[in-house]
Amino acid sequence: MLGTRFPIHNKRLVGLLILLIFSLLIVSCGGTTQESTSEDVAQPAEAETSGSAEVESAEEPSAPAVDGGTLRVAMQPIVNIDPIAISSDSEVLVANHVYDYLIDIDAQSKIVPRLATKWSTADGGLTYVFQLADGVKWHDGSDFSAADVVWTFERLRSTEGTPTADLYNNIASIEQTGDLEVTFKLSEPNSFFLYDLSDNHALILKEGTEDAHTNFNGTGPFKVENYSPEDRISLVANEDYFIEGQPKLDGIDIIFFNDDSAAVDALTGGQIDLAMRMPTALFQTLEETPGIRTFSIPTNGFDLVRLRSDREPGNNPLVIQALKLATDREAIFNVVQQGYGALGNDTPIGPLYGDYFDPSIAPLERDVETARALLADAGYDENNPLSLTLHTPDTGGRPDLAAVLKEQWAEAGVEIEISVEPESVYYGDDGWLEVDLGITGWGSRPYPQFYLDTMLVSDAKWNESHFSDEEFDQLAAEAAKTLDDGRRVSLYRQMERILVDRGPILVPYFFAQFAAINDQFTGLDLKAFAGRTDLREVGLSGS
Amino acid sequence: MTVTQSSSPANSGVAPGRGRRLLSSFRVLFDRPVTAFGTSIFLLFLFLAVAGPWLAPYGSNEQIYSDARQPPSLAHWFGTDQLGRDVFSRILYGSREVLFEAGLGTLMALFLGMTLGLIAGYRRGWIDELLMRFFDSLLALPALLLALLLLGTIGRSRYSVLIVIVIVYTPIIARVARSVVLSVREKAFVEAAQIQGESSLHIMFREILPSVMPALTVEGALRFSYAIFLVASLGFLGVGVQPPSPNWGLLVSEARPHAAQLPWSLFFPAAAIALVVIGVNLMADGIKRILMGER
Repeated sequence: MLGTRFPIHNKRLVGLLILLIFSLLIVSCGGTTQESTSEDVAQPAEAETSGSAEVESAEEPSAPAVDGGTLRVAMQPIVNIDPIAISSDSEVLVANHVYDYLIDIDAQSKIVPRLATKWSTADGGLTYVFQLADGVKWHDGSDFSAADVVWTFERLRSTEGTPTADLYNNIASIEQTGDLEVTFKLSEPNSFFLYDLSDNHALILKEGTEDAHTNFNGTGPFKVENYSPEDRISLVANEDYFIEGQPKLDGIDIIFFNDDSAAVDALTGGQIDLAMRMPTALFQTLEETPGIRTFSIPTNGFDLVRLRSDREPGNNPLVIQALKLATDREAIFNVVQQGYGALGNDTPIGPLYGDYFDPSIAPLERDVETARALLADAGYDENNPLSLTLHTPDTGGRPDLAAVLKEQWAEAGVEIEISVEPESVYYGDDGWLEVDLGITGWGSRPYPQFYLDTMLVSDAKWNESHFSDEEFDQLAAEAAKTLDDGRRVSLYRQMERILVDRGPILVPYFFAQFAAINDQFTGLDLKAFAGRTDLREVGLSGS
Repeated sequence: MTVTQSSSPANSGVAPGRGRRLLSSFRVLFDRPVTAFGTSIFLLFLFLAVAGPWLAPYGSNEQIYSDARQPPSLAHWFGTDQLGRDVFSRILYGSREVLFEAGLGTLMALFLGMTLGLIAGYRRGWIDELLMRFFDSLLALPALLLALLLLGTIGRSRYSVLIVIVIVYTPIIARVARSVVLSVREKAFVEAAQIQGESSLHIMFREILPSVMPALTVEGALRFSYAIFLVASLGFLGVGVQPPSPNWGLLVSEARPHAAQLPWSLFFPAAAIALVVIGVNLMADGIKRILMGER
């Protein structure tokens, strides 16, 4: 009985192992062709920390885009198609080309016209009047008017449980004040109201649209030709688009890929033309691929290492200072991000925010000895080391960041235990808002006030570090309301200094956004939030 | 071969020439080329597990940023990973972790399974019924699934993986022990001991156990190879241990996103898992052939 059992087990196990070895061999053989890239260590080390979104593409497109062509884009499958509920890159990308925003934000985070051509403010920033473009038609042939804008924003602000209901609760009234004129009245001044109007969800629908899930009646540059859920959505150019010369493409096929590496394979294999989501490793292989033009731009998204500061040990400023001094941000940026993106300096107000970012605040020099001394002052030494559990989601470069921090802080005598958790655990109850030490990823936003209001002021909804600083709160409140650009710049710079000096947070780097496109196409202006990338100017390369 | 005699259950109450028997059974491990191969691999890794930290040229989480992403070279035999950690050193440190957890877990499961199997098989009755039905219900679940369930329940630490190995493998070992006990308890020498008025404990552990030992040795060796695989699998799934532990499974899982560019950081830990599991398995096979009288 025993004699017959074992051989079966054995054969199966050995068979499995042989299979494992073979598959590993195949995996590693596939990789050896790209070995050359990995030898030049952390290549873009002198990273662009300049204000502009610099494209790392090898050659700039020489000829202007010519009309025609269908661009095949790889994207994650879409779930929500009604603009009020969209959130992912792919959902926003589709909606952004079927519908139009009232005003848009360009790749440099500047406000630009879209359906609204001009606007003016009055009453100390309480009244905004928008003039709308003339001759705009809905895809069904009817005329666009100010009533559609009013209806859309009323829907956005009055639909319970939507992110926009919160965002627009400062709007007192929205009125049609002319055939092509809309007036917004606010209850309090809001420095970033124009940015708020260009929120991802704020795409203009036709008045009275019943079911935006099945009815894609937009004013946008493309019309929905065919939508097969979980497969693709095909868009064709809107011949009657109100902006002359746009769009250049004949159509866009958005093909759904669940797997980023499959999308990259499809790009190199010629089945798709554009991919905007890929891990660094795959991006690096594409940089070497002929016929593919690559883009890497720094974004305002970042990984936040934060220490809870309302209880032991984070309530001791010496501990915060010691951890800041023990961290080598540049090494982290070069090793974890491989130099893609931008170097951080413990504030979410990064170099991409232009004037808001104060380049004169020098990054803290790493000083392990001082860190050790500060910890000793705080009562921690070899016999009683500062020991903390570092919680991190299992996504992106966060586990790597945790491993590097553990090693860097160990030199200052800090003992770190790493806990890698699925996002559902990390963001669950007793998760990120409770733990002492954690790493949280924050997405890119076009203006920095969002981070201050939701993460850093005392009563912020997601104040994960439990930071509470009276001076900071006052500065943040003023910055949210002032309409004086110079004053706002000065307020932001003061807040940056506070965060660098005493904020219980580390921002070691800002993420990069990658994209790769078949070089038959030109005119791509990649945005930090890839879904907002505007494909209206993309066309075939002239040559 | 002198060995066949040593493994016969009949003479196991007394132990003449125990040392010589141990030596000869050790020699058996090198008897056939395949077994010798397996045993050598196992002994090599055992040596690495013990001496690894002294042999390793770098620390297990030592990060040399300037050496990150290097292919195998003289300075880094197995290359370095994305954070500049020496893959060879991490595998050396990892061998201690993997072999220690798998080995200790298997030993504990062997001891517990053996005891419960002896009791169930010798006592029979309700205790047998209760234990076996309970074990059946545990065995109904695939080992990895059971391990994941348990880890979800008891939380994660070095000891939780040990506990999981014990809980997963005890039922299997207990069943093997019990099945042998069931046939042995009818033998004349057991009856003789009962007539002599020996205590149940004495009969179970002095009379019956020696006959169960060969089957348990084989089962234990096999379970050991499965336990190594389980420890690595749990590390790979990220539930057993936390980074920066050098658990081989965790090394494979961490290297996976970088497979195209740093294939060595994936290949070597995977090869270490495969090699040690095959080695232990071949060795177990050899033990079985000898002890179970197969050739």
